[in-house]
Amino acid sequence: MDFRKLLDKNEFVFLDGGMGTTFLDLGVETGEIPELLNLTSPEVLEKIHGMFLEAGSMILYSNTFGANRYKLEESGYTVDEVIGAGIRNLKRAIEKSGKEAYAALDVGPLGRLMEPGGDLSFEEAYDVFAEIIRAGKDADLIVIETMTDLTEMRAALLAAKENSDKPVMCTMSFELNGRTFTGCSCSAMALSLTALGADAIGVNCSLGPAELIPIVEEISHWTHIPLIAKANAGLPDPVTGRYNVNAEDFAETVVKFADLGVKILGGCCGTSPAYIAELKKVLAGKKFVPRKEEVTGGSEIPTAICSASRTVVIDQPRIIGERINPTGKKRFKEALVNNDINYILGQAIEQVNAGADILDVNVGLPDIDEKAMMVRTVKALQGVTDLPLQVDSTIPEVLEAALRVYNGKPIVNSVNGEEESLQKILPIVKKYGACVLGLTLDKNGIPATVEERFAIAQRILDRATAIGIPKRDVFIDCLTMTASTEQAAAMVTINSVHRVKHELGLKTALGVSNISFGLPNRELITSSFLQICLANGLDLPIINPNIAVIAGAVRAYKVLANIDKDSREYIAAYNTASPQAAAPPPSNALEATPEGLMYAVQSGLKQDGARITEKLLETTDAMKIIDEVLIPALDKAGADFEKGAIFLPQLILSAGVAQAAFEVIKSKMPADSEKVSKGKVVLATVKGDIHDIGKNIVKVLLENYGYEVIDLGRDVEYEAVAEAAAPEDVKLVGLSALMTTTLKSMEETIKLVKERRPDIKVVVGGAVLTPEFAEKIGADFYSRDAKQTVDIARIVYSE
Amino acid sequence: MIKIEQIDREQALRYMSYKGGAISDTALSELEECERKLLETIRPVCVYRVFKINGFFPLVLENGLVLEGKDLSEHLEGCEYAALFAATVGADVDMLIRRLQITDMAKSVMTDALASAAAEQAADLAEEEIRKSLPGKFFTWRYSPGYGDLPLTVQPKLLNVLNAGKTAGIVLQKENMMSPMKSVTAVIGISEKPVEKKRMGCAECRSFEGCSLRRKGLHCGFQKTT
Repeated sequence: MDFRKLLDKNEFVFLDGGMGTTFLDLGVETGEIPELLNLTSPEVLEKIHGMFLEAGSMILYSNTFGANRYKLEESGYTVDEVIGAGIRNLKRAIEKSGKEAYAALDVGPLGRLMEPGGDLSFEEAYDVFAEIIRAGKDADLIVIETMTDLTEMRAALLAAKENSDKPVMCTMSFELNGRTFTGCSCSAMALSLTALGADAIGVNCSLGPAELIPIVEEISHWTHIPLIAKANAGLPDPVTGRYNVNAEDFAETVVKFADLGVKILGGCCGTSPAYIAELKKVLAGKKFVPRKEEVTGGSEIPTAICSASRTVVIDQPRIIGERINPTGKKRFKEALVNNDINYILGQAIEQVNAGADILDVNVGLPDIDEKAMMVRTVKALQGVTDLPLQVDSTIPEVLEAALRVYNGKPIVNSVNGEEESLQKILPIVKKYGACVLGLTLDKNGIPATVEERFAIAQRILDRATAIGIPKRDVFIDCLTMTASTEQAAAMVTINSVHRVKHELGLKTALGVSNISFGLPNRELITSSFLQICLANGLDLPIINPNIAVIAGAVRAYKVLANIDKDSREYIAAYNTASPQAAAPPPSNALEATPEGLMYAVQSGLKQDGARITEKLLETTDAMKIIDEVLIPALDKAGADFEKGAIFLPQLILSAGVAQAAFEVIKSKMPADSEKVSKGKVVLATVKGDIHDIGKNIVKVLLENYGYEVIDLGRDVEYEAVAEAAAPEDVKLVGLSALMTTTLKSMEETIKLVKERRPDIKVVVGGAVLTPEFAEKIGADFYSRDAKQTVDIARIVYSE
Repeated sequence: MIKIEQIDREQALRYMSYKGGAISDTALSELEECERKLLETIRPVCVYRVFKINGFFPLVLENGLVLEGKDLSEHLEGCEYAALFAATVGADVDMLIRRLQITDMAKSVMTDALASAAAEQAADLAEEEIRKSLPGKFFTWRYSPGYGDLPLTVQPKLLNVLNAGKTAGIVLQKENMMSPMKSVTAVIGISEKPVEKKRMGCAECRSFEGCSLRRKGLHCGFQKTT
């Protein structure tokens, strides 16, 4: 019988127990890599599998948990050999037992941290897992277990789906707070793995059965596929390493999983064959009753999208922030061309703080590699925000690339009624289990009537459901026209939203800002239109949340529509201390004089600094303010820092005030902005090193002093530094390294840079460097801190 | 379960190279805000295992684990048992710091230092748990990889024995640096009789040359003998 048929039967399925525990019970010396026993002692594995078969296990895990290329690197064996032998041992044991059972290829975590926190890329992890999947080609099914990082789980699941056609079971390890160590929540896990096509999902390891019950219950609300529970035998004793729940108590508690509708049951650490036998005995008299979600195919499950740690249920208006988009934004386009990812991240965080629930991500620009930029942006965003994303592109390859690396269940923006779009976009949406935004337009453009737009929405829904995309995952955007040119179209949009929402029963989205284009007092028109749309069923307004009136319109609607109970969110947004209020209020006592500005810089009063600068500019020349006030004020702060009179954050705060003043000066004198740059400096944390806080501090200070910084980021290739340092107007390169082991890459980088540009100066810094070593590896300067780097930049640029 | 109610501000200020000058109102209010946010973000976890010591120079434990270097053996001499532990304030802190690095560098530096102090507090609490579980025993100071001649390369072995990926969410990245970044691993000697609390000064330390703490006038925790 096929494993998938086994899942369809209304019976419990029993897994095996803890492999490590059984090694310990049998007194087997495992060494550092227990998977090598597959080759050195196949009889031991056969025996252990046999014991679990005897106990009643129907799915057995091969002894291949850590059999990946990293762990086996120095073992003298290949992944193929170790996994091949593991599956053979298991299959032999099954055959000898004469029982009907399945051999599962066991896949565990790689033991390395994925991006953005760590250095293992999604693509590399995928390759490592793909190798494991291919090596386990003789297994009956695949189980990916003990994962705590959703990114890694997704890489493994995708590798399994794309390199085999076997069923895949996925289990993750949760802590008492209902999250994994990397912060993945139950709902996000269930939504994301169901989306990506797992055949069964659940939990294993980390806790005993009693502690896992609420976790499994939570997971059960978010998926319609069969559930798995493989708990530990309680907690381990730190001295003996033994677990504290015996077989009888274990089995008694596991029965409660069965009551929750969990179909697939077994044990993890601390559970010997006796535990499985007991479990089977206790459940013998119990009938498996499938969950409501399983029976209905999931129609009970709410419409939701998620990142790894935040789930947004679309049961009320949710704000999609529209600012990550270059359309009509000069600064954003510059950032894309210059690969200035921090600018884009800044745009994201600003919207998060302004109250966005979801972020739209569009990085399309004719002259750039949109696919590479999209992947880079999605990855970087996931490192700084947990808001779910809406990936936005007109190019299917860009969308697919984003969906591969997106860690959760996103929205795809967009498909439309055109045949080509339906054919290209919907299969991608289906494969990755995303939600999709359908635009009511087709080859004839945007229809003028409600009926035609409704018909396109209907067509998109039909086509989506026909290929297996759940109805709840289809959202419709009825499209906003500009009221100043097509006044009648506003009501068409509003009525279309109403019909799609109430007749088709779909969630609706709408970019509203267009409505007011070309009219005075745009915000009034936009927020009024938004209110009407919300009242007619708009769920996902795509707006600029940084405009207070617009985001406020959504909050106000939620109060009036009785969604925001007791006006809690509304009050929280307007009545309590906002981040701005926490900072000292602008003090009008500070006079708009050079002395006042000097004081503001030294005291870290950003708003005062900006206000005074604006005032001073009315009477004083910009360069005079810079040279006679800002720079001396910064110098004073720098000198105080060197003396120990102020500490590092204060220096940075002062620099921040100067920065705010520079911004004011730049914005007032766009034509002269070039003059404000004191010179270009290339900064990089060298290849192999991912610790860049020091370099980032240097960057802030340099910018505050008026230098233009080309920041290459961390773990930077030698070649990339050399390339950035090629232009004649770059006179200084700054390199940082934190680790002794990466000093070598620093040396290599300097060598290459100097080879191409013998005249360029290089300054180095970082915890492990000394002036002597800096000289030895060919640097021109050693800098002990950010302040000194500024001094060095001055020397270099005044030469 | 370990819990941190308050961040050790003095320690954090030392990490920020604070040398006793006046702290401006702005800096103080930002520092307090960082503390509040960090306390909301941290999820302190610790894990430990106790093993019998089978030999010294190098230190060999009953499970076959070998910890090379002579300083650790000297430190634990006379002890019958060794406790290995790992403590962390969790992965969310890393994201918080990353985010602040983009939006607010001053707060990022403050939070980074506060989080380092919190990680040390988590290690203190881990030690306390170990002491509580073994009443009547005597303990040495904690000794971490990177101190003296105990190389960072023992990190994989330590974390492996503790199963720290599964039990505390601590894994290694390049160059044996831990993730979450604000994590501590250490070894404590356990004895039936009072132990001489050997303290190491910088002068005897093998990391003397490259030590970034020392350059800032700080100390890793092994106070000087005098």
